Amino acid sequence: MATNRGGGNSSPPNNSVSSPDVRPSSPLPATNSSPPQSTRRAVGRRRRGSASPYPSSPSLGGFETPPPPGRSTPSGAGPTRQRQNWTGRFPPTPSTPMSTDDVPMSSEAGDEDTPETDGGGAGVDATPVFVWGTNISVQDVNAAILRFLRHFRDPRDAGRVDPVMDEGKYMRAIHRILELEGGESLDVDAHDVFDHDPDLYGKMVRYPLEVLAIFDIVLMDLVARIEPLFEKHIQTRIYNLKSSICLRNLNPSDIEKMVSIKGMIIRCSSVIPELKEAVFRCLVCGFYSEPVMVDRGRVTEPQRCQKEQCKATNSMTLVHNRCRFSDKQIIKLQETPDEIPEGGTPHTVSVLMHDKLVDAGKPGDRVEITGIYRAMSIRIGPSQRTVKSIFKTYIDCLHIKKTDKSRLHIEDGMDTDSTNASKTSEDDFVRDKIEKLKELSKLPDIYDRLTRSLAPNIWELDDVKRGLLCQLFGGNALRLPSGANFRGDINILLVGDPGTSKSQLLQYMHKLSPRGIYTSGRGSSAVGLTAYVAKDPETGETVLESGALVLSDKGVCCIDEFDKMSDNARSMLHEVMEQQTVSIAKAGIIASLNARTSVLACANPSESRYNPRLSVIDNIHLPPTLLSRFDLIYLILDKADEQTDRRLAKHIVSLHFENPDVEEHQVLDLPTLVAYISYARKYIEPQLSDEAAEELTRGYVEMRKRGNSPGSRKKVITATARQIESLIRLSEALARMRFSEVVGVRDVTEAFRLLEVAMQQSATDHATGTIDMDLIMTGISASERQRRDNLVAAIRNLVMEKMQLGGPSMRMIELLEELRQQSSMEVHLHDVRGALGTLMSEGTVVMHGDSFKRT
Amino acid sequence: MVGPQYDLVGNPLGAVRSTFERAAAAAAAESGGRDPVAAFRAKDWGATEVFRSFLFDQGGIDKVPVLDASNLGLIKPNTLVRFRGMVQDMLGSEFYAGAFKDGSTWRTNKFTDFSPFTMPHPCDSHLWERHLLHCVPVPGQNSWTMESSPGPDLRQMSNCSTSEQRDKRKRDGDDDAMDVSENGNGEGSSFSKKPKEDGVQGSSSSPEMPVSEDRVPEMNGDDHHIPGSFFSCLVKVYDMPESQVKLNDVAEFIGVYTFDPELAAPVDNSDDIMFDLLEDVTAQLPPSKVPRLHCLMSRKLSCHDFLSKQPAVEPSPSLLKGIRQSLLSHLTLVLGKDDLAAHCLLLHLLSRLRTKVDLVTVGRLSLNFTGFNRESASIFGNRLNTLVQRLVPYSQAIPLSIDYLNTATLQPRKDNKSGRLVTGVLQLPQGTHLTFDETLLQSGSLASKGVENTVLLKNLMESQMVEYDFEYYKLEMATDVQLLTLSEAKSNILPSDLVVPFRPSSVPAVNASLEELESWRWYLATVRSLPQLSEPETYQAIQDDMVNVMRNDRSLGCSELSRWLTMAQLTASSFGEKSLSMEHWQMVKELERLRKERMQ
Repeated sequence: MATNRGGGNSSPPNNSVSSPDVRPSSPLPATNSSPPQSTRRAVGRRRRGSASPYPSSPSLGGFETPPPPGRSTPSGAGPTRQRQNWTGRFPPTPSTPMSTDDVPMSSEAGDEDTPETDGGGAGVDATPVFVWGTNISVQDVNAAILRFLRHFRDPRDAGRVDPVMDEGKYMRAIHRILELEGGESLDVDAHDVFDHDPDLYGKMVRYPLEVLAIFDIVLMDLVARIEPLFEKHIQTRIYNLKSSICLRNLNPSDIEKMVSIKGMIIRCSSVIPELKEAVFRCLVCGFYSEPVMVDRGRVTEPQRCQKEQCKATNSMTLVHNRCRFSDKQIIKLQETPDEIPEGGTPHTVSVLMHDKLVDAGKPGDRVEITGIYRAMSIRIGPSQRTVKSIFKTYIDCLHIKKTDKSRLHIEDGMDTDSTNASKTSEDDFVRDKIEKLKELSKLPDIYDRLTRSLAPNIWELDDVKRGLLCQLFGGNALRLPSGANFRGDINILLVGDPGTSKSQLLQYMHKLSPRGIYTSGRGSSAVGLTAYVAKDPETGETVLESGALVLSDKGVCCIDEFDKMSDNARSMLHEVMEQQTVSIAKAGIIASLNARTSVLACANPSESRYNPRLSVIDNIHLPPTLLSRFDLIYLILDKADEQTDRRLAKHIVSLHFENPDVEEHQVLDLPTLVAYISYARKYIEPQLSDEAAEELTRGYVEMRKRGNSPGSRKKVITATARQIESLIRLSEALARMRFSEVVGVRDVTEAFRLLEVAMQQSATDHATGTIDMDLIMTGISASERQRRDNLVAAIRNLVMEKMQLGGPSMRMIELLEELRQQSSMEVHLHDVRGALGTLMSEGTVVMHGDSFKRT
Repeated sequence: MVGPQYDLVGNPLGAVRSTFERAAAAAAAESGGRDPVAAFRAKDWGATEVFRSFLFDQGGIDKVPVLDASNLGLIKPNTLVRFRGMVQDMLGSEFYAGAFKDGSTWRTNKFTDFSPFTMPHPCDSHLWERHLLHCVPVPGQNSWTMESSPGPDLRQMSNCSTSEQRDKRKRDGDDDAMDVSENGNGEGSSFSKKPKEDGVQGSSSSPEMPVSEDRVPEMNGDDHHIPGSFFSCLVKVYDMPESQVKLNDVAEFIGVYTFDPELAAPVDNSDDIMFDLLEDVTAQLPPSKVPRLHCLMSRKLSCHDFLSKQPAVEPSPSLLKGIRQSLLSHLTLVLGKDDLAAHCLLLHLLSRLRTKVDLVTVGRLSLNFTGFNRESASIFGNRLNTLVQRLVPYSQAIPLSIDYLNTATLQPRKDNKSGRLVTGVLQLPQGTHLTFDETLLQSGSLASKGVENTVLLKNLMESQMVEYDFEYYKLEMATDVQLLTLSEAKSNILPSDLVVPFRPSSVPAVNASLEELESWRWYLATVRSLPQLSEPETYQAIQDDMVNVMRNDRSLGCSELSRWLTMAQLTASSFGEKSLSMEHWQMVKELERLRKERMQ
């Protein structure tokens, strides 16, 4: 990074500009590409009180950096290495290298000739100084930087009418640093540099070593003029480059350039104290040597004591606690999954961190790093003749920015239980991604679009899909101060004929849901903690029994073949679906584990095909108590619709023969859908608006009213309090789908519609065609109950009419005959038996086997 | 073009350098001396062309020895070698001083790790880039593929034909013979490359080594990253976008084998802490243990490349039909005269992943033979394994037991400490055949590793995906693996596409001549690569038939019908037909009917 300075040592005394030339330029032969100024490659540097000879080699230690092709610069870890020196805890001493000695000097010398004009203080008459091998004029860059620092105004400040704010953004920042005395670095947004001076930006990115060194010097100079006594070195940290490069696209032409890469820290070395200045003491006389600078990773031990009186040879020993060290750390950065092409493995790169940057990130963090890409040759051994031609590459870090803020949020969510957010490490919502999601959410047809995107290969069943979507988004869980807990999870049961792609829906949901577990009712000991391979003693089929519910805490637990679940396991579900915990008794200790999971179950009808003449309860042998805990129950009936069949057939065929890329448009792909859902679950907490609450009440009352239709004598329950909770959850989920913080009336309306569709299918009393929640609550519909009451009354009348008190008994068959003659009702023997049972409890009859008599 | 003035096999670098110097001189003359070699970055200046014409046009490829565990010590460094292997890990890229100025001449370091010239000041050199691939012998590679690869004939190598090597060569031949006989015996496991390994040890410990001890790379027998493998190779690939190579690709690399004892010596500048910390992955693969290969040319290998003789005939339907018949009758014999099972097995062996839409995979046909008990599994299982081993290039048999599930490392995992990918059983090249023997599975508890492993297996079964663990995130890699499960009853842990109750009637003796085997291998390789053309009329007919079928049997769903179609397509291919006809569809329906009968 040597700088050609005209005039060599005779440069203007106050020319602080010259200081990027921290080291002598290397005596390299000029290559073809070197600028015409090569003749003036004089070494321009001054040194005051230089007790320590500064190394005159272009490179430090093994850091022999060849220039990138097409450009010849003297290489070396020069400026950045030097920059480290400035950041030390000690004030610059005369023995610190070149670059610093300008600074104290100008501050001592006062302000008489410091850059006052934008033209730069280098003096108009100074011969232009060029960065070696380039056509970058040091003076120009210097002036440009000064201009930038002084005059850059943040466009966002433009609206402010604060006259005090007439200073630029960075001048304010500098003042702040001075006031606080804490900061050692000035963060400079590269976008600002670009906006202010694209040319400067270009130079900075292409020749970061040189330009940053000038930057630092200009900055120090500025600081010195404001606050002459300020002793700390302030380092410039550039961040937010215009373009960030993909880790795997780093190539030789990026060497020595400023790059910005995103990645994940996978490994951090321990903090290494690096010797910067060594102090030696004479063992003979106790004389302390001047600090010796580290050169190429080596310190030269003074051969003899420098004290005139002593002059003892080989007597110097290193004094550790008077040496100066700086912190250093090496981290490994790995590509994030989204940047890895298919069939590839992630690339890694080493990043060198200094001082303040040490421990700024820990493994697992996603970060964006701005730094200088470097290469160094590998030394084989001290006495190697043949040099290995391989180079190691690393990035000298300038700035580190964590991009992964979502982690914190998740942890918070876990602790406070305020949200059902899950989905851990994988989601990294980079800003633009979120923007994209938000844009999506603003689409007017987002609801339909989401519906289409859910299992796009399964048609029809749109309302089922909508219900499933609600389940994925979920409602808000609520915990009242009193300790009452309202779950936000929506449970869904799918009942239906075989071959209606229930399982496929489940599979799909399992893939989509944050922490989904897919299990078969046949093999899940639902609550157990251990996984167990079990063999069916009869068939020899092997199944995996796993503690599915506990594992799917904060996710969706998909249970296939729900009807085949053992009663024992099923009974545990009661607790899970309402209290959201699982209690496990082990060795006398009852542990209550969280199982905040939505249950998505699917069941086949007990007679393999759904019998429309029977109720849901009779079709799937599930206890009504359990059934009532499902928010939505969908009947998926195979209606033998040729149209659907044809569509299915066409789909299968096209899957096999045609280019399957020609899919339906306007469908979100799987990753987007997953991202959309997890974002909504995490950040959107919709609240019920007043109008929505009103609508909810109104709708509920209306639903209840419907049971009291004028025609029917008995009251039919069409809705219960459970439904109101379900409705709230559903409307919240619907609001979440739109990323809306407020549950609107339309959400409530849609929730009602969804609930009704589901109830229409499952809770419809087939005898009357009306919705009857009793079907689900108790398993008996109101009309059925009515019928039974009628029968009991008829028998009672009959008994009263035809039988004497204490008279002979009558056989049930005979009674049945009588009843059939009497009424148009179709009566079955078991109905009669049931009715007689009721009468017996009334004390009207006594039953003996198949016969009964009046009492 | 430059004629091969150099011994391209014995001194490939000489040719590389001379072509470079010539090209550089020409470029310099053209450009007037301004940085003449800058244009050669990531480009070939004509060196590969020299090799290409030598190897392929002049048949020089036969003179190039194949680098494997057995001859590692015998091949001289800086000679041309061939290597066949699977890309096990991609270690990123490496920068090197590609071109530099030696006095007034530009020289190159391409295709080598070290320079014979003193490196000048870095100023006068150009930094170039190459990619590092860590390659291992293909997991589960069957021995017949080795014998068929054109042999490394060390005797033809002009510069190192000593009597010891001739002996060695003979020993190699013996090994091959052993492999064959072993295969014939039907050893259950296909991890059977022990003879090779013996050969290696023989060679490296042999006292009459032609090269001095310190020049011989030792085997990396203790490389824990690749269990079961004792040989790996670091291939350095030039001028190729990395996207061209994928993980788990099987490829042949032709390039310069380098080994420098000076470089292999342990580096002892411990004072440079920087150096230790910036250590890269290659430090894990010392040149003393892992040979370096600077790739001049590479190509991906398919099944066809392993066939010993490439019949020059066009795969006509009539020819294929004949071979199909003979293979089918052989399969029937192997399967104890179970015709149905043999048909299904044939389709299974022909299946491959064709496309993937979201979660749906098209073209795979995993097979589950049920009705095995331990006894029949040991008889027919072994027969099946042997058969598969002799038919497909890569296969593995995995005995599934609780213990295995709890202990085996199925998942490949990135070790961020060493920076390398630690292989797992499921890191497999495309087209591998896996046989699971589930009859060994008893009831028992699974540890967490066992659960992970079952999930992995299930994922592999259902979506042909294997999740690789990168510690902070997981990455799913697409695979194409044929999966065969032998079990007592339908396996729910490994849910297969096609479940066939296995009903052998007898245990007939089977034997197949080498010729037959060869024709079957060719048949399988050819049929699997046959393209499928589309004929709209057939599809319409099939669609209509599907609707009919669904009307009659409401239990049929998307997955069944999709499987039927896969099977129909495979049936069509098995006859060598390029397009599906209704006839094949009907055959599959009949097959399904028979299978359903058995299921009851």
